[in-house]
Amino acid sequence: MENDRRQFLRLIGKGSVAAAFVAQIGAAARAFFPNVLYEPPTRFKIKRPEDYPPGYTFDSAHRLYVVKQDDAFHVISAICTHLGCTVQYRTVEFDCPCHGSRFKLDGTVIGGPAPRPLVWFDTAVSPDGFLEVDTAVQVVRGFRFTPPKAKG
Amino acid sequence: MREKLWKLWRFFAWSWSPESDRESSEAITRNLWLHWFPAKVTRSAMSWSYSMWLGTAAVSLFFILTVTGVMLMFFYVPSTERAYGSIKDLEFAVSFGRVLRNQHRWAAEGMVAVVYLHMARIFFTGAYRGTRITNWIVGVVLLLATLLLSFTGYLLPWDQLALWAITVGTNIAREGPIIGETIRFVLLGGTVVDQQTLLRFYVLHVFFLPAIVWVLFAYHMWRVRKDGGLASVEVIKADRQMVEKEMPRTKSYSMFGLTPGTSVQVMSSTELEERDLVFSSPNLMRRATLIFLIIFNITLFAALLFNAPLEEAANPAITPNPAKAPWYFVWLQELVASTTVHLGPFTISGGFLGGILLPAVLLGILVIWPLLDGSARSAEGRWFAPARKRQTTVFAAITLVMIVLIIVGVYLRGPYWKIYWPGTPWPQMPTVL
Repeated sequence: MENDRRQFLRLIGKGSVAAAFVAQIGAAARAFFPNVLYEPPTRFKIKRPEDYPPGYTFDSAHRLYVVKQDDAFHVISAICTHLGCTVQYRTVEFDCPCHGSRFKLDGTVIGGPAPRPLVWFDTAVSPDGFLEVDTAVQVVRGFRFTPPKAKG
Repeated sequence: MREKLWKLWRFFAWSWSPESDRESSEAITRNLWLHWFPAKVTRSAMSWSYSMWLGTAAVSLFFILTVTGVMLMFFYVPSTERAYGSIKDLEFAVSFGRVLRNQHRWAAEGMVAVVYLHMARIFFTGAYRGTRITNWIVGVVLLLATLLLSFTGYLLPWDQLALWAITVGTNIAREGPIIGETIRFVLLGGTVVDQQTLLRFYVLHVFFLPAIVWVLFAYHMWRVRKDGGLASVEVIKADRQMVEKEMPRTKSYSMFGLTPGTSVQVMSSTELEERDLVFSSPNLMRRATLIFLIIFNITLFAALLFNAPLEEAANPAITPNPAKAPWYFVWLQELVASTTVHLGPFTISGGFLGGILLPAVLLGILVIWPLLDGSARSAEGRWFAPARKRQTTVFAAITLVMIVLIIVGVYLRGPYWKIYWPGTPWPQMPTVL
């Protein structure tokens, strides 16, 4: 009986040391998952609608293509869906320099290793008249946004 | 005075030029740095043509890399704003900084090649049987660590190569099943390639991976002794057993006379005779030193003659066209570029098939290969043993495929990863979008 208690207390003692050790390792590992990210916002303003020429315009700061057709806009990601290189606009298609993926101008895959079409981003206009893109929100292919005519 | 200096010199150097058999033996056992070597080694293990001293060459390269690497740490700043500038400073502002960086780079590329060749030597001589399987697995881990060191190393200059290698590398990690996204998050320290990412890969490169390599290297060396030396010894043992009818005498002592069971010395001395052995000092020491000096000179001359590559500063907007990995990863780049498969409505990305699954399978096969090797044990310790002909062919074929992929990737791929045969000019590409 006394022995049982002794063994039990020993187990508690050793176990708590072991548990503290494991918990500490867990805590150290957890530190590698950042809680705060100092990353650029996913929702940002680009230029005013009237500043874009018709056709495809590359926005190098945000790695996307702004497409203006008639007065309607849509925004296509320039990030290859294969492994993330920047695809290049080549008049009739987008091509990727890293592994040779090829996309139609609407983003659908026509060749190479890309598994998915290029992403279309949600587009709106901000109260002060700038086009606004949200890369966290994807829209279906064929999405068009027509900004209201600027006054004056 | 001259006599005193001579005595001082002998005090430090006696173990390199022993004057009697006893000194030869003590040169090893009484020296902290050398005592992990056996006092005597087999002549066959000293052969140039058997081992080609590739392991010694690999560790020589790693020693050079450690020393030049620590030197470079005095000048390199792991910040996305200053990393590229600090490399430029090494090239143009620091005296001999360029040589230092060049030597580090060429030693690194040399190490990838030499470690692979070392593995090929082990494979072609069937030197992974029996207890040596442990060292084979440790070796595979060391090869992997070497590749990771190279990868993390060329990320540090934060040039275009670095940025796009990180981007592609971490996107391959993302293709991993279930935890892929989490792994990418931890590797990047967030969701985009930025300062946190560089810092993480920097610490991996300058501390964690080298520490792993040095610890495993020590274990690797210790295992060589525990396994009774290089596998070429097995050839002698096999011959002895056939030639001699009576059992060879077994020496009854171990190092302290107290060790329970048999020690390595006792095990090997049952078959090996004095005529098979030479003293490690000076024979082994001399050759190892010679290898180191040759390797050092090759990397130094390479550093003086050829500059380490440095692309333009990292620019997330524009991917170089074509964007090529260094030669030892180009075969992987070819794989990820060509292994996307479409199965009806499902698509499996090349990032997963060629970037994760295929390398993992290759690695897995490498690790368990000694267990699959069912050839006669007499094939052990001989180059291209006839009994292992098929295995030799398989290994050579896989190596050849990798070499072909590397040649295609390095020499034939042009803009947009298209094939351009030598002599065909590349089309003019706009440099800005």
